[in-house]
Amino acid sequence: MYEASSARQPPRSRLHPVRLAILTLLALVLSALAGGVAYFYPVLSAGVVQTGQVVAVPASNGGPTAPPVAAPAGAPFTVLLLGSDDDSKFSADHVLTQSMILVRVSPGSRAVTMLSIPRDLWVPLSTGGSGKIDGAYSYGGASAAIATVERNFHVHVDDYAWVGLKGLIRMIDQLGGVDVVVTNPVLDDFYPNDIDVKYLYGYTRVGLLPGPQHLDGSHALEYVRSRHDDIQGDFGRSERQQQVLLAMKAKTATLNAANLPDIVTALKGEFKTSMGLGKLRSLLGIAGGFNTSNVKQIVLLPPYTSGGTIGGQSVVIPHWSLILPVVRASFP
Amino acid sequence: MIRRLTFLFLLLPLMALVGTGVYTYLGGLKSKTLQASARLPTVTKPKFVLPGTMFVIQEGKIFKLSGGTFSEVASGNWMQPSLTPDHTRLVAVSKGPQSSDLYLLDLNGHVLKRLTHDDARIIDANHWAYYPRVSADGATITYSYDSPKFGFRVDFAIWSMPLNGSQWQARRRTTPNGYTGGDIEPLPVSSTGLIYVRHSIDGSGVHSQIWLQARSGLIGNPLTDAGDDCGQPALSPDGAQMAMICTHGSQTARLEIAPFNGSSLGPHQVLVATGLNAVPTWSPDGRGIVYLAPAGIAGHFELWWVPVVAVLATPAATATPAASPSASLAAPPPAVKPVQVTEGVDLSATSAPAWY
Repeated sequence: MYEASSARQPPRSRLHPVRLAILTLLALVLSALAGGVAYFYPVLSAGVVQTGQVVAVPASNGGPTAPPVAAPAGAPFTVLLLGSDDDSKFSADHVLTQSMILVRVSPGSRAVTMLSIPRDLWVPLSTGGSGKIDGAYSYGGASAAIATVERNFHVHVDDYAWVGLKGLIRMIDQLGGVDVVVTNPVLDDFYPNDIDVKYLYGYTRVGLLPGPQHLDGSHALEYVRSRHDDIQGDFGRSERQQQVLLAMKAKTATLNAANLPDIVTALKGEFKTSMGLGKLRSLLGIAGGFNTSNVKQIVLLPPYTSGGTIGGQSVVIPHWSLILPVVRASFP
Repeated sequence: MIRRLTFLFLLLPLMALVGTGVYTYLGGLKSKTLQASARLPTVTKPKFVLPGTMFVIQEGKIFKLSGGTFSEVASGNWMQPSLTPDHTRLVAVSKGPQSSDLYLLDLNGHVLKRLTHDDARIIDANHWAYYPRVSADGATITYSYDSPKFGFRVDFAIWSMPLNGSQWQARRRTTPNGYTGGDIEPLPVSSTGLIYVRHSIDGSGVHSQIWLQARSGLIGNPLTDAGDDCGQPALSPDGAQMAMICTHGSQTARLEIAPFNGSSLGPHQVLVATGLNAVPTWSPDGRGIVYLAPAGIAGHFELWWVPVVAVLATPAATATPAASPSASLAAPPPAVKPVQVTEGVDLSATSAPAWY
């Protein structure tokens, strides 16, 4: 009995060589995967938090919310780019959009059309009443901004992307800066000094010299944000914004997937979009293939608009009979 | 046979190593374009030895290039060095956060005199002074200065002051178009003349034009067409040719040259048609031009050299139109291939080299 019991003692901890090899291989593959997941964690995290934002655009007749219609793969699509103050002067998600650019991307013909919408354009807002179009986002978020643009410009917006001031700076720095030809001296004695400061209502001086040069994020922001010494005011700024967007596009052509975590980390809290990660990735791929000569730039200067005053506010009055044919031709 | 514990003891570090290795490997796949940082010119060797001595700017430091070797002569926030006609001193801009000032330096970078005092406690009482140039007789310094200004309007005008005098003696030479950025890049010519770049904005966009003012007080006349969008003029040592950068409303900055007869420009010839070319500077013997343009994977602004011997054979300018329209482009010159001089140094593209 004793001997029999002794013979049934559990075997000592040993592994069969084949089992050992399989386990080792499995462990190493898992480790490699863990390394990859850790590297791309910021991207995965942003994929949940910042991309694929669901936007419910209210129907124009006040009826039920229209379901979003996604453009088929490879088909032209329209993105509304929104750029905002996000400098604590406003409560979160109630910021004005200093920049609104409608971008039509045609992957097939590798063509892009950019239309800058003046921030002071006086329009009926989707949230009710009339006001400057830059207020739409502050009253109702991205859905209100999209609905306001869709109703007034008679276009369908497939997606939107919003970026804050710091996000733009960090994004451009992550790209290693942008190369642009600054067209004229950009001088401003009343440039808002509202980034990374305690007092948000101060001013600083900006003095950018003209000519071909390399701009880092801060200087690129000064270039696209300054408007006080520009006889075209916001229109001049819109042209510069489109210019820097194209310069950023040129830089994104050099990016690859390994750059994404740094960029996503830089944009944390400063970027939101309705596009999913897959679409963003394909958009980056498309960006590299575009030639600048296939980019059409539209700024709604007079006679498409004119200056005016409504309720004591300086506004831009749209002349829809001139604007809509241009929009129809460029954003079918 | 291996004990399970021993197996785990060996496997865990191996797993950590593989995980970290994959993480590091992925990091190494990042675009090198974005990672490349500029090197100090002093640790580089130019690919091509240029004659004479040249001063260039990198990150606010003044570097001297002589005999194929760079040396640092001054650190700080320096920009736009310019030589006095006797080549014994430099005038340069020192840029602060809200203002910039002109200084006189010796060729070793020591400050001899502060020429302007543009900083102030009140933000809009600050001023910018840029693009200093000393007249041929060495008596006067001409520069761009943002005065007068009021409210939102801040535009550069061209000002002159005695090199040995004070800022109180400065006089304004031009009246800029309002809210355009104004007049910049003065080049004193003859005893009273002035070439400068004037900006304008109309329905078709922003334009830069090279103008000639025969003497102070006159309005002057344009040397280039508004649609050509030319700037950064540089006269050859004999004054018979002008190099300039023209964008023609695009984001391509072409290096062009044209004969100059003292009152007008002849047909333009394109020396470098592609890229973002900036701040052309003639060689002391007039046989070539250096300029800055992006190169390499990071697109750093590097020094380039292009010979112009073949182009000098073009006919002299006629005194016909004041402005030279785009249509008057001359026949293309014999192919000249620019030579890249520096590599990986990223020089300041808003500071023209000073060369003697």
